[in-house]
Amino acid sequence: MLRSDSEKLVRKVMAKFVDEEVIPVATELDNKGEFPYHLFRKLADMGVLGIRYPKKVGGSGGNTTLYCICVEELARGLMSLAAITAMQCLMATDGLYRYGTKEMHEKYLRPAFRGEKIGAFQLTEPEAGSDLSNVRTLATKVEDGWVINGMKTWSTSGPIGSFHTVLTQTDPDKGLKGLMFFFIPADTPGFSHSKKFDTLGTRTSSLSEIYFNNCHVPDEYMLGELGRGLDVLLTILAEIRIMTACLAIGLLRAAMDDSIRYCKERVQFGKQIGKYQLVQAKIANMAVNLEAGKLMCYKVTHLIDNNVPCLNEASMAKYFTVESACSACDEATRIYGAYAYSMEYAVQRYYRDNRFLLYGGGTHEVLQTTIARQYLR
Amino acid sequence: MDIIVLIKQVPDTTDVKLDPKTGSLIREGVESIINPDDRHALEAAVNLKEEKGGKVTVISMGPPQAIDAISEALGMGADEGILLSDKAFAGADTWATSFTLGKAIEKVGKYDLVICGRQAIDGDTAQIGPQVAEYLRVPQVTYVCGIEKVGRKKIVLKRRLEDGFERVQCPLPALLTVIKEVNVPRFPRLGGLIDACGEKANIKVWNAADIGAQTRDVGLEGSLTHVIKTFAPKFKRQGEILEGESKEVVNTLVDKLVENNLI
Repeated sequence: MLRSDSEKLVRKVMAKFVDEEVIPVATELDNKGEFPYHLFRKLADMGVLGIRYPKKVGGSGGNTTLYCICVEELARGLMSLAAITAMQCLMATDGLYRYGTKEMHEKYLRPAFRGEKIGAFQLTEPEAGSDLSNVRTLATKVEDGWVINGMKTWSTSGPIGSFHTVLTQTDPDKGLKGLMFFFIPADTPGFSHSKKFDTLGTRTSSLSEIYFNNCHVPDEYMLGELGRGLDVLLTILAEIRIMTACLAIGLLRAAMDDSIRYCKERVQFGKQIGKYQLVQAKIANMAVNLEAGKLMCYKVTHLIDNNVPCLNEASMAKYFTVESACSACDEATRIYGAYAYSMEYAVQRYYRDNRFLLYGGGTHEVLQTTIARQYLR
Repeated sequence: MDIIVLIKQVPDTTDVKLDPKTGSLIREGVESIINPDDRHALEAAVNLKEEKGGKVTVISMGPPQAIDAISEALGMGADEGILLSDKAFAGADTWATSFTLGKAIEKVGKYDLVICGRQAIDGDTAQIGPQVAEYLRVPQVTYVCGIEKVGRKKIVLKRRLEDGFERVQCPLPALLTVIKEVNVPRFPRLGGLIDACGEKANIKVWNAADIGAQTRDVGLEGSLTHVIKTFAPKFKRQGEILEGESKEVVNTLVDKLVENNLI
């Protein structure tokens, strides 16, 4: 039966969207540093925000591979838009989808796919980053639900989120086994947030601290089974890492595309700079890393789509592609020379935005340890 | 309102180069797209369906890979796609193409409107729409830039002329060719696109026998015109930049114009 390849077509449509709608306004959006509502709505209209969810809950009926293709293409245009979209599609909504009631789906999940509500994911605390056992935000059982007290930080879409998936501790004596995620709407009494952080990169993305002061939520807002709270995170951890890897692939492509264009334009000593071997070496390294990274990433997305455990492969892909993207952005600024130091060219943005990828989905210092552990045990 | 949209998959000609030896298009690495004017035709059809109800059927003639254009059209909101694909269709000129599309439309049967883009960016003939209308013996309105009123039996349209606009009332069924000013095409919805790639997609592939056409009437054999040679024109004109003091440059320029009998 003659049919099109959905991966090829989704990439083609997303690439056209990025070329026509994102890249022309990316510098302006980054300069303003405001949440790009109009592009977010357009992505919702295209069904991107529900790409990895089934149609029965208002999604587009796609999978992890198609989701990663979307965020990779968006990252080629504007990393912060890609990060916001990636958050909305995965971390902000997956717990709600898996453990939320039908009423919660109607009130929050479907509007999230339509771009009417923004979701956020609250993991990190000042003293609990990679070390989640140190989470201090406390969930206390009361007769008619739970009461949440504490604070979170580095929350993507935190200050503009309509609802939040929040990691809490239900019993400090139980350590990791006491952790539970709760669904907390932003209009819950006692919920508040700090001012938006002033950040080095991903400037249209809104990050802040979030505060919970006696936030009361009903029992059905506890996501998952008591004592199995970390499952919410572990279920999607490989996907979070591979999504981050695909953001890196998008950024690497942007840095490489701009470098190639500039290599052909810029003439020094009577020759295009792309004719010089040391410049060629930089392009060659970018190209090799890009091809290797794509192979790693889409091998993992297909494993996830086939329900094959692949956390270690996802960790390796995240580590490799993000390091490759950081290197490519650095090399791009060298190819551009002093012009990379000007805010006029996009390479400075790539150079600033690449730092974002180092932290989300696990720092590389932690990832290297966990990868090595697989081989040393 | 039942609408048929004719679309063509074309190479993205902003990237196309000609092989200097053979004169043919270098297609390797060149993206194929839905012809830009045809996207406006699709948008017009889907808008009318959303407003009036009914069904949008997309028809395209092309090689098997043109299935991608059909799938994308379904992602934009078309309900059904028909790909006319047969080795016998290869090498068709606009006459044979219009005949083939006309036969397929006859097989589809009921329709209120056929909408096409004004012209394809690869051939640039703008002949398919008018020829299909002639084949179907329905009225045609070309260069449509606005669809103003749609009734059960007639439609009011704004069409562009060289020096202005014309408002036309036309009985239905009819065929329209549209230009880019008619609307802004939407991006496909990914859910529709994914469905269009699935086994249950509402896409049919028809060959010459399926539309009741004889091979002598389609493709190269059925064509009234034949391409003898394709070549890239050589640009012989060369510019010359005159440099120096203004007075000196003007004098040189006048001398050169006189020398070439231009003034």
